[in-house]
Amino acid sequence: MWKLLSVFLLLLLAARFDAQDTAQPEGEQARILTLENAWNQSLQQKDVSALRMLLAPDLIYVDYDGTLMNKAEYLASVQSLALHPVRIVNESMNIHSYGMVAVVTGVCRESGVKNGKPYALLERFTDTWVRRGDSWVAVASQSTLTPH
Amino acid sequence: MKVRVYVTILVVAASLFVAAQNYGDSSARSNILALEYAWDQAQERGDIKALSAIFDNALVFVDYDGKILTKTEYLARVKSDSSHLQQIVTESMSVQVFGNTAIVVGTYRAKGVEDGKPYLRRRRFVDTWMLMGEHWVCVAAEATPIQH
Repeated sequence: MWKLLSVFLLLLLAARFDAQDTAQPEGEQARILTLENAWNQSLQQKDVSALRMLLAPDLIYVDYDGTLMNKAEYLASVQSLALHPVRIVNESMNIHSYGMVAVVTGVCRESGVKNGKPYALLERFTDTWVRRGDSWVAVASQSTLTPH
Repeated sequence: MKVRVYVTILVVAASLFVAAQNYGDSSARSNILALEYAWDQAQERGDIKALSAIFDNALVFVDYDGKILTKTEYLARVKSDSSHLQQIVTESMSVQVFGNTAIVVGTYRAKGVEDGKPYLRRRRFVDTWMLMGEHWVCVAAEATPIQH
């Protein structure tokens, strides 16, 4: 329960950044990085409702094995009973802002259990965020495996 | 009677606006697809000057091995790879336009020789394009090996 609450608080915090710092690029960047972390927490919790808020209806998602998914397919993959992510942490995140668009790159460390076996992935990702109204939503996300 | 005239004017204006927007998106799609093909050709030829015009100076490029490259590093890699890369064939591409931003997702096959051995690689890519002034430039690109 407290984990779900923490995801909600992160989303709330992102909304507060928006209310206070809309004119400041730093505020917007901080907000997007907060959303990136909220994305990871939502994945760990398999919190599809929170994920749905973060992702654009027309999301393009390319997984580390090259699989292309739309939003519905991605949310279904998150809910897979065979997948149990235990830890998802972003490192070295970098953000390039272009007004209503932002591109985030970084490295994601993910570990957990898949099909009953432990797994550990190190992925380089590129996420593209677009501001729609008062919210930032991810329109594209791609991951590529990188050597450990 | 007046109300009907106003409603008719509104409907016509809205139709023209939607048509103009659709035409704009369609034109953007054509431009961007042309640039994607130009990118392939320039990469095959090792044409650094042509490639340089396609990319924003702040380009973030994530290669199939997870390495992150700046524009300068990417151009240097193309220059050194040009003698090894023989052909790039784009298999499929789709473009989604979000105002002054566009996301291209597609797959390509790259054929060449590395360390004296021929290779044929298939990858899925996502490219982010921004309209800067009158020109579309690529601000982010990532390629992921297709594992299945």
